[in-house]
Amino acid sequence: MPEPILEVDGLVKHYPLTQGVLFKKQIGAVKAVDGVDFALGRGETLGIVGESGCGKSTVAKMLVHLERPTAGVIRYKGEDVTKLSGRALKAVRRNIQMVFQDPYTSLNPRMTVGDIIGEPYEIHPEVAPKGDRRRRVQELLDVVGLNPEYINRYPHQFSGGQRQRIGIARGLALRPEVIVADEPVSALDVSVQAQVINLLAGLQKEFDLSYVFIAHDLSIVRHISDRVGVMYLGRIVEIGTDEQIYDHPTHPYTQALLSAVPVPDPEAREHRERIILAGDVPSPTNIPSGCRFRTRCFKARERCAQEVPLLAVPEAFRGAAGPAVHPSACHFAEEKQVVPPETDPGGDRFLPPADGPGRSA
Amino acid sequence: MLLEVRDLHVEFRTRDGIAKAVNGVTYAVDEGETLAVLGESGSGKSVTAQAVMGILDMPPGRITGGEILFKGRDLLTLKKDERRAVRGAEMAMIFQDALSSLNPVLSVGDQLGEMFVVHRGMSRKDARAKAVELMDRVRIPAARERVKQYPHQFSGGMRQRIMIAMALALEPALIIADEPTTALDVTVQAQVMDLLAELQREYRMGLILITHDLGVVADVADRIAVMYAGRIVESAPVHDIYKAPAHPYTRGLLDSIPRLDQKGQELYAIKGLPPNLMRIPPGCPFHPRCPMAQDVCRTDVPPLYEVSGTRGSACHFWRECLHA
Repeated sequence: MPEPILEVDGLVKHYPLTQGVLFKKQIGAVKAVDGVDFALGRGETLGIVGESGCGKSTVAKMLVHLERPTAGVIRYKGEDVTKLSGRALKAVRRNIQMVFQDPYTSLNPRMTVGDIIGEPYEIHPEVAPKGDRRRRVQELLDVVGLNPEYINRYPHQFSGGQRQRIGIARGLALRPEVIVADEPVSALDVSVQAQVINLLAGLQKEFDLSYVFIAHDLSIVRHISDRVGVMYLGRIVEIGTDEQIYDHPTHPYTQALLSAVPVPDPEAREHRERIILAGDVPSPTNIPSGCRFRTRCFKARERCAQEVPLLAVPEAFRGAAGPAVHPSACHFAEEKQVVPPETDPGGDRFLPPADGPGRSA
Repeated sequence: MLLEVRDLHVEFRTRDGIAKAVNGVTYAVDEGETLAVLGESGSGKSVTAQAVMGILDMPPGRITGGEILFKGRDLLTLKKDERRAVRGAEMAMIFQDALSSLNPVLSVGDQLGEMFVVHRGMSRKDARAKAVELMDRVRIPAARERVKQYPHQFSGGMRQRIMIAMALALEPALIIADEPTTALDVTVQAQVMDLLAELQREYRMGLILITHDLGVVADVADRIAVMYAGRIVESAPVHDIYKAPAHPYTRGLLDSIPRLDQKGQELYAIKGLPPNLMRIPPGCPFHPRCPMAQDVCRTDVPPLYEVSGTRGSACHFWRECLHA
């Protein structure tokens, strides 16, 4: 991994649950994020996958300082940003920008595109002097593939894919080094998703950006990511390069997740093994003891209820080499290939996990 | 044939003009068969289904032509009460968003039982017993206790299973599932699709699965109808279409799925945007986005050419596309 630009250590976000009006008494907490560690290298893309409620969006919000962590450290170029305030914090926030999921609600309908993309300059005027802003905004429109003459239009005059481009342009305005993209394509139509993914990949090369790319669509995450972390109920349960995670998963949750994704190849129907998990994700207010996945795990044994598995290379693999050796938070981690390897381009033409966007088309 | 939709046309009158949502859709489903209707937003896939179910909002919607033959009878000529007797009892629908399709102030038992009270004239007590039976059938644990609970007390996957139970209640011959798993997480999606497929086999129902997800389609469908701008652009058995699409739009959709050997490269992307339904381009509606478009595509609407006995493509150049 190249030198880390962003490091996250023991990140925790608990939302207190209170009872009473005047004398609020804390009766519990929603443990949205419950101890997350990772590092993002310069110029790298770290994908984070997981199902709804696993805390991936809360991690994103903490990275851009929209939420304050309950505990833990976020280091940007070695400096802990959770302790910063005032001017120093403002300078850091400039460098970490966010692209949101829903281009329909994340753009103010009463502002023109020019005002939306130029708004970051109001807060950070040092980036672009006033007289220069309009030109900068037009440049940005051009960069994201929109006609610079559209600067005076309103969001409703654009399609979903175009709106997402506007959101990306806004994220780029301050020339950040890190972009946190939270489900940036899941609200878009299938034929438009590829356009936006290509745009993001191109911008990364052009501006030397580092991405934290959060999504539930496993095939898109694989396409764009150098490394992938799998989250379950507030924790990363497995992390590694895309090959390690997709072709050599060792955590049972990752295996179940990968096997559940429908493969766009009708020939694969007969000869693939599916791991169907029982039940639903437990409530984050009441996390199971020991391993948090044990209530749905097909491998759970007694030890899993007592001992919390740590995110590290599992004992069984220590001293070994190969792609199965990567951090996996499971006591009984073992390699299992759940998606058939790609063979000749006729039969198994498409590779694993492809899944549509998380919403309707 | 269980259901045959023939040359259906639906339009919506809006303030800004007439939106032509469905422009001559023809498809058929037999009993025990799964037809996947694949399309993006605005392709008319849901509107067609709503017309079949008879739940289209009219006005602003209007069926301007075509036939919907169900067991040989044209549903569009039926009287309101005759239509009502078909809906729910002989064909049922599963919606995308179970939370907003269920009534929040009625217990799930009441909502499931209502089917039996209204259509079968059962007493409330018998209907309640039937509701418990159905919840068992869709594998909701502790059905006897949970039958009294309200929709918000169930998880997303369970709510969708309750929707399935409701659709199955009267053992209809046809089920229309409109994006039934889009709102669900993948591991739950797998549970729900498995259940649906199992029940379909058991009751030998016809199933119309409306979706935009090429993965789900490959998993469960027998046949696929691909829709674009209110038309069927390609219709084929599932294996054929994934092997060699006969329409450039289908090809574009398949090619834009990320593949391993393309990692780090540009993804194939269909250029442009789906058309505005108020201003559908003349000729082939896909021509402004099509990499194969020729002059004829800009002027002549392609009919659904017969590619083989079981396969059709609405492309003037389907041969070239098939062998590309």
